[in-house]
Amino acid sequence: MNDLRDTLDLAAGDGHPGTDPTADLARARAALTRRNRRRYSTGLAALALVAIGGVGVDLAVSGNAPATDPSGGTVTATGVRLVAKTFDATPYTFGLTPQGWSVQAQTPTAVTIVPDDGSVSTSENDFQGKLVIMFDANPLDGRKVERDGRSFWIGDSSGYTMMATPTLDGEPTGVVRIQFPNGAGWDEDSMLAFLGSVHVGDGAQQGVG
Amino acid sequence: MRAAERDAEFVHFTRTHRTDLVRMATILTAGDPASAEDLVQTTLTRLYLAWPRVRRAESRLAYARTSLTHVFVDETRRAHRRREAVMADPSRAERPVPVGLDFGERDAVHAAVRDLAPRQRAVVVLRHWLDLDVTETARILGVSPGTVKSQNSKALVHLRRALTPYVTITQEST
Repeated sequence: MNDLRDTLDLAAGDGHPGTDPTADLARARAALTRRNRRRYSTGLAALALVAIGGVGVDLAVSGNAPATDPSGGTVTATGVRLVAKTFDATPYTFGLTPQGWSVQAQTPTAVTIVPDDGSVSTSENDFQGKLVIMFDANPLDGRKVERDGRSFWIGDSSGYTMMATPTLDGEPTGVVRIQFPNGAGWDEDSMLAFLGSVHVGDGAQQGVG
Repeated sequence: MRAAERDAEFVHFTRTHRTDLVRMATILTAGDPASAEDLVQTTLTRLYLAWPRVRRAESRLAYARTSLTHVFVDETRRAHRRREAVMADPSRAERPVPVGLDFGERDAVHAAVRDLAPRQRAVVVLRHWLDLDVTETARILGVSPGTVKSQNSKALVHLRRALTPYVTITQEST
């Protein structure tokens, strides 16, 4: 006969030794990304967002468009065209703009871009279905890719893709990242090009969270 | 702290102590491997999110065990309420281990633990497997020492009845 502790110890089993912690780390990172995004949303909701509309972005989500040189024409995305057209959402400047999408709100910490077809909420505090550009000091995590001499980190969580890259020399130090819904017609290559075209200007402030 | 540093420390902790947490979760879930794994995964995720606090803890494993206990109590609360509606006192669960049947001692213990309410299971694990005192057990569970004693007493009455063929539960255990 055993005492209770020995018996419980027997009931505990061996605990499956040797389990690779990789999956635990991946789950934990994904949870951190989700929490950061929630915190960002909450923080942004606390700010007085200034909506601006019609910042020189043309309407229409289209099918695949003809590819042309990014320096002067369009970049093909799957379902959404990125137009090589600079627009200013101070303190952020974009070298490419998604055709058929417009800036809904801009703050020193973020810019929100929405489709012009009215399919998403008009509330600036609701980020479902929207493209959000953020500036912060959060860690870079996810899958790392190189493009045009820059490093980008790509993650996916709860139906959204997050891409991030350190700001360039001469820009405020930090991380610029975008968040966009999967299935909205964006493809990875085009969105990397879009993120690479984002310039962070003086006056940008890092979001908290 | 930097992400790489957090990741490295988390991986080291997981590699070192995941087994300890799975074993504790196995008792808490009365031998249900899927539920035990769920508990551990949820706990590890919570630890990662709170890693700046975890790394300051005097004992990271103790912090993790406390977190695992909270996850377990949280996630079983609804089932616990349903259970309490039909069987408030586990000593009423007349489910003696059928001596001589072909399931072993481990299964018998799991069956006996399964008849305990979640908080009673937690008390048994903390008091009798981890050898924590009443005060520390009460602190982890967020209840009074009196509640721990009461829950412990009821749990042991049941375990004594259910496990008599296998285990000696002395009066001092209470």
